[in-house]
Amino acid sequence: MAKVSIEKRILSENDRIAIENRKTFADAGVLVLNIISSPGSGKTTLLEATLDRIARELAVLVIEGDVSTERDMDRVRARGAGGIQINTGGGCHLSAKMIREVLGELDLESADIVFIENVGNLICPSTYDLGEDVRLVLLSATEGDDKPMKYPSIFHEASLAILNKTDLLPHLIYDTEKVMKEIAVLNPNCEILRLSALQGEGMDTWIDWLREKLAAKRGEQTSGARRGT
Amino acid sequence: MHELSICQSMLRIVDATMEKHPGAKLMRIFLEIGKGATIEPVLLKDAFEIVTHDGPYAGTELVIKDIPLVGRCRSCGRSFEYEEIALGCPSCESIDIEIESGLEMNIKELEIDE
Repeated sequence: MAKVSIEKRILSENDRIAIENRKTFADAGVLVLNIISSPGSGKTTLLEATLDRIARELAVLVIEGDVSTERDMDRVRARGAGGIQINTGGGCHLSAKMIREVLGELDLESADIVFIENVGNLICPSTYDLGEDVRLVLLSATEGDDKPMKYPSIFHEASLAILNKTDLLPHLIYDTEKVMKEIAVLNPNCEILRLSALQGEGMDTWIDWLREKLAAKRGEQTSGARRGT
Repeated sequence: MHELSICQSMLRIVDATMEKHPGAKLMRIFLEIGKGATIEPVLLKDAFEIVTHDGPYAGTELVIKDIPLVGRCRSCGRSFEYEEIALGCPSCESIDIEIESGLEMNIKELEIDE
């Protein structure tokens, strides 16, 4: 018997492709967000409400990951986004390679922001870097207030957590402070926003956050100004 | 849920390594999986058996070392397992915690019969 040392992350190949994706996005000067949540927490509704507020001035692309159907893509197209649907055919997450394979079909050079709507679940997508700038975990008040410690991996990796459906809080038993504290314990660098995509409260703060991130990303570009901005 | 996909990624690394050892039989694969890595070892072993049962790795054993989810308090320096707490450091209640281990998903080594 002989031992052969490997010492590699199992997902090292995914990590390598994610780095390539990140470079492609940086060269095009686009801000990329990977949105991860449970099914039904409001990913597509958040995108719709976001597009209603920014689609007139910013070019937005959406990469929709779903097991099947183009329903989400139809919804965001109706609000002015371009983009592409990826059907994973049973797969529970998107991978860097799946993103890489559709990049040629997207006009990244003309885009300002790319939203990647991951397949709805809090487990599998958390370990796959797609090359995004922002890993956004979306929670909703109706899911219960025990999620961060149940799914530590996604909160440890996220740079932004959004608590959605705050308009329903008066009707629910939901300890917002506990959720925010648990997230802080898992990841002190994770920013937290609270909003209702449907009713609009907190949306202005989210849009301001997005604009600041985009400006910061553009500021990082060594190539300097694009489109006079 | 994504153990099958993790298994396939692992097998690509195994294949690339085994190509350098032609004729060798793969006996064991040693992994390190963190408690917070959202991988269920039982499901990973099931996925591995399903994927490999009729190929060259049939009968290969998957040896999984569980790595506990350990945090270290940046305020008082105490390290602790996450099961102990829900809301911060068990000593000083600070929430400024750094995760020391428990998110690993590594392939460490192979045992082969040459």
